[in-house]
Amino acid sequence: MIKKIHDMLVSKEASCTELTEKYLTEIENSNGELNAYVNVTPDAALAQAAKVDAKIASGEEIGMLEGVPMTLKDNISTKGIETTCCSKILTGYKPIYNATVWEKLERDGAVLLGKTNMDEFAMGSSSETSYFGGSANPFNTKHCAGGSSGGVASAVGGDIAAYGLGSDTGGSIRQPASFCGIVGLKPTYGAVSRYGLIAYASSLDQIGPITKTVEDAAIVYDAISDYDPKDSTSQGRIGAMSFDTVNNDIKGMRVGIAREYLDGVRDDVKEAVLGAVKVYESLGADVVYFDMPALKFALPVYYIIACAEASSNLGRYDGIRYGFKAEHYNGTHDMMCRTRSEGFGEEVKRRILLGTYVLSAGYYDAYYKKAQNLRGTIVKAFDDAFRNCDFILAPTVPMTAFEMGHAVSDPVETYLTDICTVPVNIAGLPAVSVPCGFNANGMPIGMQLIGNKFTEAKILNAARAYEKAAPENFKDTKWGVKL
Amino acid sequence: MKYELVSGFETHVELSTNTKIFCSCTTAFGGEPNTHCCPVCIGLPGTLPKLNRQVVRYAIMAGLATNCEIAEVAKMDRKNYCYPDLPKAYQISEYDKPLCEHGYIQLSNGRKIRILRIHIEEDAGKLIHAHGDTYVDYNRGGVPLIEIVTEPDFRSVDEAREYVERLQQIMRYIGVSDCRMEEGSMRCDVNISVRPEGSEELGTRTEIKNMNSINNIVKAMEYEFERQVDVIESGGKVIQETLRYDDASGTTSSMRGKEDANDYRYFRDPDLVTILTSREEVEEIRSILPELPAVKQSRYTDDYGIPEKDAQLLTKYRKVSEYFDEAIKGLDNPKTAANFIIGSIFRRVETEKDKETFDVPVSPAQLNELVKLIEDKKIQNNLAKKTLEKMLDTGKSCTEFIDESDLGGVDDGALEEMCRKAIESNPNAVSDYRGGKEKALMSLLGNVMKQSRGKADAVAVKTKLIELIAE
Amino acid sequence: MVTKQDVENIAILSKLFVAEDELDNLTKQMQEIVSFADAINNAPDSGEEFDNINNLSNVFREDVVVPSLSAEEILKNAPEQGENHFLVRNHA
Repeated sequence: MIKKIHDMLVSKEASCTELTEKYLTEIENSNGELNAYVNVTPDAALAQAAKVDAKIASGEEIGMLEGVPMTLKDNISTKGIETTCCSKILTGYKPIYNATVWEKLERDGAVLLGKTNMDEFAMGSSSETSYFGGSANPFNTKHCAGGSSGGVASAVGGDIAAYGLGSDTGGSIRQPASFCGIVGLKPTYGAVSRYGLIAYASSLDQIGPITKTVEDAAIVYDAISDYDPKDSTSQGRIGAMSFDTVNNDIKGMRVGIAREYLDGVRDDVKEAVLGAVKVYESLGADVVYFDMPALKFALPVYYIIACAEASSNLGRYDGIRYGFKAEHYNGTHDMMCRTRSEGFGEEVKRRILLGTYVLSAGYYDAYYKKAQNLRGTIVKAFDDAFRNCDFILAPTVPMTAFEMGHAVSDPVETYLTDICTVPVNIAGLPAVSVPCGFNANGMPIGMQLIGNKFTEAKILNAARAYEKAAPENFKDTKWGVKL
Repeated sequence: MKYELVSGFETHVELSTNTKIFCSCTTAFGGEPNTHCCPVCIGLPGTLPKLNRQVVRYAIMAGLATNCEIAEVAKMDRKNYCYPDLPKAYQISEYDKPLCEHGYIQLSNGRKIRILRIHIEEDAGKLIHAHGDTYVDYNRGGVPLIEIVTEPDFRSVDEAREYVERLQQIMRYIGVSDCRMEEGSMRCDVNISVRPEGSEELGTRTEIKNMNSINNIVKAMEYEFERQVDVIESGGKVIQETLRYDDASGTTSSMRGKEDANDYRYFRDPDLVTILTSREEVEEIRSILPELPAVKQSRYTDDYGIPEKDAQLLTKYRKVSEYFDEAIKGLDNPKTAANFIIGSIFRRVETEKDKETFDVPVSPAQLNELVKLIEDKKIQNNLAKKTLEKMLDTGKSCTEFIDESDLGGVDDGALEEMCRKAIESNPNAVSDYRGGKEKALMSLLGNVMKQSRGKADAVAVKTKLIELIAE
Repeated sequence: MVTKQDVENIAILSKLFVAEDELDNLTKQMQEIVSFADAINNAPDSGEEFDNINNLSNVFREDVVVPSLSAEEILKNAPEQGENHFLVRNHA
């Protein structure tokens, strides 16, 4: 898709302005139903498009991402452009600096169409904890787009952005990509700078691309993965550009199946994933089965660590320096409490309280410390697994996109839907979610390819091989720009 | 009953780095409000800390200078609490793996004050309360601090005073902080309890927060000691609480309400990585540490025979001692130079601040040149002193004020000649002296000194005069 | 067992108000989440302390000043400001 747009621009089949206008029109037409964008930035987009057109007209070469209309999740800081994390508490906040990823893409000439919807502070699985309401699934708007990067997935799946950047703390890129029948890459922890990504859980958060094709994911990953001196945990891309190897043969690659990943997974999802295993066998890959008992504890470990870090990361929203401030109060302390109580939604408050609880005196050892120790155990389980395989194949989500309103009713039940995605974040691994079928109602099913650290090129190569072998799983919807 | 004071110190010292601990903003004191700030140090969402290498090195230097062990593995933790001066609602500090541990500072009475730990952390911003409203300035937010925590080893207010002075002196010597209490770059929290003399048990302690002058520390400790003794004597119990000292009334009062539950929920900061310090690095840092004041002082007393009091004056400020060390190079008797510094030069460098910089018009080499002339018996002490004053007035070298004819002693023949001349021309003085007026000799002596333009040795002149008058 | 008192305490630490009529429900929800987290109690644990995910160490910045932003820029998003300070009025 990205390459197609690039070729159109270079061959002057369409100008960047025309293309951008097309996207803006389609956003106008569909956003009422999809609720993918929370903030559209037509003026800046068209200004950037004009620059690209001028460059093309002057005969200068343009980069692969130059002039390609895209979107950012609303937790990625954009200088001068409202960035709210879809929370009331950040309404009106316009960052005075750019996130490193946006700085890179802006320099590469990307056309930002606007900021997209998400669960409030990325806490949720359906985008419905957003202050602006949930995003709809382009395949069926009665269903949610997933979360937390639901807006990006809805926009890319609905072709009202060529690609987008999301963030993945416990599955927030892969799950909505899976629900919306598109590709989502969660990079290795440290491969992409977190500077400017409004933190949910710092040791788990990672920015990555949500795209229509595997090739697009490779292109965008190559562009954003870089060492950033502003992020102490950043290492950048290790190894070659993934785009260069994405079309390689995968004969002889070993596909690992950890049985735990298939426990409790709905039949239609399991069937689709096992179907993909057959495709891999047909492509000459070997399949190895094994157990990873440590995965059983992944979900509580994830929630303890994520909420603990979140409770600390979200302490700063106090009404003093930016964002929402309570209208009525009596004294500074009261102002801070009221601002937070009125500014945060229910799910965010629940996670702050849980995080505070597991870190508080008397509970720290039993919960936070224990979870940290188990984090080490899970890391080791993956280390062992990768001695026997090149990547692990697993469902992305145990089910397909839920209906709107379903996810918000029971917190614990909703947490359980993250069971397949969180282990990757705990272990800091890369994983790409790829469409691998549809259920009886036509809702997309996704699978994820989990690689060892910094093996993005390898899993993207394997994902691309599948995409070529099973193109029927990559479908357009009725929405958006038709190129 | 007699009571004993038991006290420990937590001292915050601002490090003299160029930049803040986690961002590249300046640490300069003062500045218009919120002009030494960036997205990182005002805690904007999405920003990340990046540790200043120099902060770690300075903390290690402070640790080595106070006899600490340096941790091979250290880490940064978050201390969570909400307060308007703390922009992230957590302070990045070190909880259970501080950079330095188990050191001590020895006092002049021989007692060692044990240092439990030294850790690095960030300072908070500044709140200004006016008409009930709160104004926040984050210039100081993110300035690097070390917190130096002692064991409860102080048994008297004097010990506490000496500790603070020594700590200041050491930190200034090694150049990690200017320790200006009046500017807040050194602040002390003092915990105090009392117990019957001879008891080994610790009493309930109170903590007096944020004291910013040695005088206040002394007064607050004295007051709090008396207060606790009074409480116990009158049958009451000391309550464990945090106090503030009010300078105007000279009393302490409780600082926090009960609604502020303190549970800092420390956990490792996931935005920062482990700090490893190799033994080689520790030795490298140790090797660049300057000679510490205690070592210097004993060198001055033991090797040079300088009186302890003078040695203290010379070592109090690093710049002074460096000046002295430079000035005595190649001299036989450093005492003369010491006296010149403590006498003539100190008279012109009055304030503590000036002694700290010790920027005097006469260079150590110039002083050395002057003292050398005395040692070579080329000029007399008195003349040297006068010359030094002129040098201090002008910044010029001693040769500017001593002409060739001043140099060289006065030989015995010439001396006798001058003495005879003085006796001949002052018969009254001679007869007065003979009549028992010892003082009359002074005018004769003055006459000879005048003839020799100060070059003659006064003792030799005196001897010669007495001898000639007795003839 | 999470008690109402627990929830009240952590709400204070979190600087959040919990209304009287929400307390029961929130305590129940917290109890459910905490029991779910209790699953880790039985997990075999090597006791080994987890460092950081990529075992990084000694990532430092050099001590070189970069010009700060203007007070105007720093205060741009302040809900209220006065005399180049962030301002919290005592009452509103």
